[in-house]
Amino acid sequence: MEQFEMLKTWAETNVESVMFYILATISIPLAYGVILDRAIIRSGFILIGVFGSICGFFLLLQAQFLALAQLMIYAVGITLVIVIALMLTNPRMEKAQLSTASPANQLGAFMVAVGLFMTIYLSVRPENWTLSSEPLDTANVEVLGRALTTDYSLPFEFASVLLLAALIGAVMLAKADKPPKPGEDDYEYSVVDDGPTAGDARPEKEPVASGR
Amino acid sequence: MRNGAEILKLGTLTITWWCIIFGAVWIACYLVGVALPMMLSSYDSDMARMTAETLKALTPILSVLVFIPINAMFMVLIERRALAIFTVRLGPNRVGPDGYLQTAADAVKLLFKEDITPHGADAFMFTLAPIVFFAPSIFGAMPLLAAVTNYHELFQIVNLPTGIFFILAASSVPVVGIVMGGWASNNKYSLVGGLRSAAQAISYEIPLVLSLVTICLLAGSLDVVQIAKQQSGGILNWNILGGGALRGLDAALALKFSNSAASLQQLSAMSPEQVIKSSYVEPTMAALGLAAGQESMATIIAVIAVLVLIGATFIAYGLYMTGACAEINRIPFDLPEAESELVSGYNTEYSGIKFAIFFLAEFTNLFIVASIAAVMFLGGGDCPVPAWLGNALGGPQLASVINQVLNPLIQIKLVDPPTLFAAIWVILKVYSIVFFAVLIRGTLPRFRIDQLMDFGWKRLIPLSLIVFLLVVFAREFVNVHVGS
Amino acid sequence: MTSSTDKATQDQTQGVFYAIAYAIATMFVVGAYATGSLDNFVQYAGLAPILESWQLKDYTELLAFILIVLLGSTVALLGGQTSIIMAVGTVGSFFALTLNQHPLIQYLTLAAVLFAIGLYGMVVSRNAVRVLMSIELMLNAVNINLVAFARYVDPVQVKGQLFAIFVITVAAAEAAVGLAIVLSIYRNTSTVDMERFNLLKW
Repeated sequence: MEQFEMLKTWAETNVESVMFYILATISIPLAYGVILDRAIIRSGFILIGVFGSICGFFLLLQAQFLALAQLMIYAVGITLVIVIALMLTNPRMEKAQLSTASPANQLGAFMVAVGLFMTIYLSVRPENWTLSSEPLDTANVEVLGRALTTDYSLPFEFASVLLLAALIGAVMLAKADKPPKPGEDDYEYSVVDDGPTAGDARPEKEPVASGR
Repeated sequence: MRNGAEILKLGTLTITWWCIIFGAVWIACYLVGVALPMMLSSYDSDMARMTAETLKALTPILSVLVFIPINAMFMVLIERRALAIFTVRLGPNRVGPDGYLQTAADAVKLLFKEDITPHGADAFMFTLAPIVFFAPSIFGAMPLLAAVTNYHELFQIVNLPTGIFFILAASSVPVVGIVMGGWASNNKYSLVGGLRSAAQAISYEIPLVLSLVTICLLAGSLDVVQIAKQQSGGILNWNILGGGALRGLDAALALKFSNSAASLQQLSAMSPEQVIKSSYVEPTMAALGLAAGQESMATIIAVIAVLVLIGATFIAYGLYMTGACAEINRIPFDLPEAESELVSGYNTEYSGIKFAIFFLAEFTNLFIVASIAAVMFLGGGDCPVPAWLGNALGGPQLASVINQVLNPLIQIKLVDPPTLFAAIWVILKVYSIVFFAVLIRGTLPRFRIDQLMDFGWKRLIPLSLIVFLLVVFAREFVNVHVGS
Repeated sequence: MTSSTDKATQDQTQGVFYAIAYAIATMFVVGAYATGSLDNFVQYAGLAPILESWQLKDYTELLAFILIVLLGSTVALLGGQTSIIMAVGTVGSFFALTLNQHPLIQYLTLAAVLFAIGLYGMVVSRNAVRVLMSIELMLNAVNINLVAFARYVDPVQVKGQLFAIFVITVAAAEAAVGLAIVLSIYRNTSTVDMERFNLLKW
């Protein structure tokens, strides 16, 4: 019984960090999967897993709203658009599509990445910040909404202008130049890309433009 | 006349299956959530207490897990029978008494079928796809359970302050499963189905979310329990009728029709006209800054605002149903699995238990979008008859009779009357919406993919934005749910 | 032909075997660090004064990290599966570097790891869409930082979460425009290879 109580108190104090390490053990290999998997479409799906685990981190940090926004916008919206773009630009579904960079470049990149990580790691110290031990209100959606519409309303408006510009720009960029083809009335619905399995080009463009 | 007999058969079938489904869920919940903890409480030890708490906490997820498979069987059966009636056929009527067990037999068949992974497919993704498609619907249903059970303590723990947003996030995940399955099948029809599904889901999610955001704006909350609670008190308070714009009218009618002096005193000391004035004319005057003499103008503006609110929420309901139909790939938006063009799209290559999971998830999603509609627009577990009308029609006498009949069951905590009645209303509402979806399936032809995109982007999204803006302005002139 | 395939398969199996051996070794190192055995060993071997004289505060952590990296490079040179070794080594060193830290530092370190992975992927990969995916990964690492600060430094006003919302917005716009550019390049050149986007080179 005593052991049971001890276990219970241990779990209560440490459940957050245990969850953190579980999620970290999931997300780091998945992130490697994104950049190293031979089948590029699979790495697109792995990216969804990475974003899902980051959503888990946000839940641990008690940012419910952001976690759910992360799930809706990143894990489903953006990544699906990326996957569709992968399918459009890789019409024959090759497993090993492109060779990666030369070994020398790889080694250089690895050194740079490790150096960057060590620099960041050695420079972050808890003494650098005034840590606050106040508990975070779990229902902080209201705080966020109030801040977005009062103090941060100008950046908010700029963000919407940016999204509109990106929407229009993406539509313009992705739109196929339509050469006039006499005698082919249903050109509008035909496959625009030269890839054999590219699917309909029209529907996929617009989600890209939606900027979700 | 022959049709009438068929409809009667459909009704009997529905009620029988409801008894099976909800009886099973009820008994499971009772055993795990009430009976076992009560038995354990007689032992005085930490272990027993812990176990009891764990059992209570597990009740919501257990009820969902018991509910989903049986419900999917029932929904497949009712869909086939109802479609048969619409197209003047007989439908499945051989297995069991009058075909009641047709889908149970189908389920057994699917479970024993060989599970094939096609040649050249990505086996891991192929297996993961049905799970990704199915798992979110279990989690998505959780906050809804808290909203429809009328503050039953067992189901309160699954409530979240960001409830509706959580449900939306969970219900947006299944499309990943469809794209994954479509790609992993190594089949071009599946791939096209998956791509179509992704494009469709992403486009139609915008009107769906915007229509629900409109309702959240009227309710001033994201919490589904609170949204359901605000709508209590009859059909005039439901969100589909203006999101609380008719509350003043409801209060005035209650004053006018309540005949007992006690209830009059309980409501307020004002006359019906004063109630109307305080809830419609005064907010308008305050919003516009009108002087005391301009009541007639304020009245006109208030009436217009109320009508606009009712129209806007009604359109929002339509937008929600359209977007939801597209989101879960129902006819007329079932392009991802169009049998005649894509040989059933993303699940062409699936068989056996994986196909069964896809099938299960599809019908579960239909049920979940219907229950979101019931909670957000149709008042959750609220009785549509307002209390003043119910009292006039003899509601209290009926309630006391029912309470007396159920009294022995209430004593052993098998029945909790508020939860029971809320559940009955929710079941009626949700299955009416499901039946409506089946009716649409029997009526409308399928869209073409370019028509689908045009309809989504050029019609639905502008319309949902207009509705949103109308509501933003109109709610200033009337007392809506916010702050109540 | 069969023999060459056999040899390739054999090499691969051997590589995976090495990688698994490396994973077990990493687990031992992390375990030794977590239980304090590594610390005791350093004290016993008389290394502690030297390390302290270099002004290294958390020398045991860094020692565990260096051990893991050295082991990893050795196994990789012996012919282990590089991708698995990299993943295992990163997870192991992440554990060693953060186990005794404040939660804020844990999150910041995790974000740094993801950021570095994203940077590496961005430099190494030649598929333009994969470069975009790596950029998304880096943006998400930044988001983790912001939300962690909101939790541990500014829990009242949660400004970090606000900034994260803006980052998500910008990331969405970036993904839309970037993918549109990639699509239009693909339409003109029929390739998404970064090395062949060199029309302006002379």
